[in-house]
Amino acid sequence: MKKIGLLFNGVWSHYVFATAPKYKDVMKLVYIHDLSDDELEGLEGLMIPFQSNQDIITEKKEVIYSFLKKGKKVFVEGDTTSEWLDAEWVDRPTNNYWWVENPNNPPISDTDFSHPIYEGLSPRHSCWHTHGSYLSAPKGAKIIQTKPDGEIITWETHEYGGTLMATTLDPIVEIGVQQITHLDNYVEKLVKWMCGEEVTGNFEVPKENYGIAV
Amino acid sequence: MIKAAVVSNGLHGIHKYFVSNKNVEYTILEVTKNFDPDLKPYDLLVVPNGSDHIAMGRLKAKVADFLKEGNTLFCFDGWFTNWIPGNQWIMSNEKKTIDIRYKVKTDRHNLMEGVDINLLIYNHNISGWWACGYIEAAPEADVIIEDTWQRPIIVLDEKTTNGTMILTASGPLGDSGAIPTDDENSYAALGKLYQNMIRLILQKKENEKNRVTV
Repeated sequence: MKKIGLLFNGVWSHYVFATAPKYKDVMKLVYIHDLSDDELEGLEGLMIPFQSNQDIITEKKEVIYSFLKKGKKVFVEGDTTSEWLDAEWVDRPTNNYWWVENPNNPPISDTDFSHPIYEGLSPRHSCWHTHGSYLSAPKGAKIIQTKPDGEIITWETHEYGGTLMATTLDPIVEIGVQQITHLDNYVEKLVKWMCGEEVTGNFEVPKENYGIAV
Repeated sequence: MIKAAVVSNGLHGIHKYFVSNKNVEYTILEVTKNFDPDLKPYDLLVVPNGSDHIAMGRLKAKVADFLKEGNTLFCFDGWFTNWIPGNQWIMSNEKKTIDIRYKVKTDRHNLMEGVDINLLIYNHNISGWWACGYIEAAPEADVIIEDTWQRPIIVLDEKTTNGTMILTASGPLGDSGAIPTDDENSYAALGKLYQNMIRLILQKKENEKNRVTV
């Protein structure tokens, strides 16, 4: 049964993730231009991936906050805008190669490993690269990950009814891209945290999923 | 002067990467719920990395008509829907990125002139950074670049339709960059590759003009 909506921009990495046999039974693609209360009915969580259309999200932000008000979970990754989130995101250079050139100096220096998503993860599995930083989070938010300079990478708040978590990591896009091979560790825990379902096994990419008609 | 339409999914950077210049006049087409743009004013349709392939799938017939008129399509993204005539992008995680190498196969129009192929392969000594998956190319299309396993990565197709298609296996390109790298050499190499593609389209336009006037 599908329990988590993935806000879907028609971007291929989102599609790869949500249609992979490992995740397809719990993930529902919610096309961004169709986002509505009805589309989220029956779901426990909503993922808003990197490479989403922030203008359309802003137009439809009431749907997201209404979903949160019902006690649901929303996970936001990558860039955002303060037009729909009570936080200030800023762009920063993305370092994809620190693990080759400077492995003892990862872009994230502090992680709260007591959070259910991070509990049991190794530092390497909880940090690959970031897309920008938060200079501020909503009042009362719990800070979960920070950079060496103190900028915020991951935060969580219960201010809106349910749980809203935001990170500038990009596990959804990157697991779809499949260039980083350890992301199942993070995403399995993310899925479990969002809907209680355990997903296991290898991440496969069936060829028949490509070349589809709409 | 080429009149180009760039499809925009509302992502950060598109407007910055496609700026009008002496060779190309760019118009940005923002994807909306009922996206149905008039392509008649344009010679070139650019579908950059991070595009909406649900929206493009719904434009399949219009793109076919556009190509039938002798126009040009650039697609630098992973098109999981079947909207590009004769050619299909396929995502795959069967091969490891550490083993990815590229080589030039058929380059009759010198699209790789002045482009160091090693800069497409390596970024900060990490291979397989640029493209993802591969293209199942039309039988008569030119495979400009293939990977370690002879899978097409850049395709030029002048045969399947009356127009011209230049396709990458989700390798980002843009007039002034559109490249997810801070490596200036890679940035310059991909900028050069894009300019070589523009040069080909300008040549074709010039040839067509001369043919009509003779």
